[in-house]
Amino acid sequence: MNAIFTVVFIASAATMLFIAPDELLPTLLGGAESSAKMALTLFCIYAVWMGLSKLAEKSGLSKGAAKVLKPLSKKLFKTENETALENLAMNLSCNLLGIGGAATPYAVKAIGELEKDKNTFAQKLLFVINSTSIQLIPSTVIALRAGAGSASSFDIFLPSLICTCVSTGLGVALFVLSQKVGGMRFIKKRKRKAGFKG
Amino acid sequence: MVYVIPAIFLVVFVFAAVKKVKIYDEFSAGVKEAVSFTISLIPCLAAIFMMCAVFEKSGLSNALTNLLSPAFGFLGIPPELTKLVLIKPFSGSGSLAYLNAIIAEHGADSYIARCACVCFGSSETVFYISAVYFAGLKVKKLAVPIVIVLISTLISTILACLLCNIM
Repeated sequence: MNAIFTVVFIASAATMLFIAPDELLPTLLGGAESSAKMALTLFCIYAVWMGLSKLAEKSGLSKGAAKVLKPLSKKLFKTENETALENLAMNLSCNLLGIGGAATPYAVKAIGELEKDKNTFAQKLLFVINSTSIQLIPSTVIALRAGAGSASSFDIFLPSLICTCVSTGLGVALFVLSQKVGGMRFIKKRKRKAGFKG
Repeated sequence: MVYVIPAIFLVVFVFAAVKKVKIYDEFSAGVKEAVSFTISLIPCLAAIFMMCAVFEKSGLSNALTNLLSPAFGFLGIPPELTKLVLIKPFSGSGSLAYLNAIIAEHGADSYIARCACVCFGSSETVFYISAVYFAGLKVKKLAVPIVIVLISTLISTILACLLCNIM
């Protein structure tokens, strides 16, 4: 992120120096303003869902969801951390239901929990799963199309489902593969080092 | 589908009541977490939004779009979608604005609009998520996962344009 931010920022600011030097400051302020609006919107979403999720947590519902998904998530994320597993389960359920706004707080909690175990593999895997989008029902898009007077707003359901499955499946496969390749390189390096010493 | 969300709320509230959870106290405790969580996001949000604003305003984002349109066309992605595909990894609200414009311009049932909808629905705001998830953590080596996600997203986008043609 640091590299992207630096490159994009410097390139954009340099271009603006030539085409519109007086507009750089207003543009930055405008960006900051829209981030404040965004933060307010996000707070509204999180207030609703985190309030609800607290109830689910205290009543034992999330534990139940975690139990159902446990065999899968244990194998996938390679963790024994109960709190992390609970949050992972809730994150996956929210994603599948198409309420992405509700999924984020769980992901952040799970990542914080995994940080304690230094389980970066699970953290990154969770990031890959969430950022390749695994929603079953693209509710926002369907609502948008219906609003724009579509005759059959649901007809994108199947292509969407195929695409999100492909992107998530591919993402997870590539990530696990990349970790394996990286791991092998690491072992080889260690062997080589040991060889030199011996 | 409209019944899903009310049903979720009802199930959770009734279940919590049965389990004798102090519903008002716990719900507010959850909202309290939302307050601190949102505040922890603001620094990253502000920085990224400022970057996106200058990127857009400087015309570089348009230049990049024009530069990449032929390559995208080669992969079967219509040029009308280039901007949407490029913006989506950075900003959900930004890409939503483009999606709305595409639907308004081409009509909700046109090939372009359907394509745009599938692309939008089956991709995520990668850079935003990476900023939010890892805000304040030490895990910073995210280059490999991010590249992997972008590759997967690109392939699913190509697939989306293909599928909308035949479905």
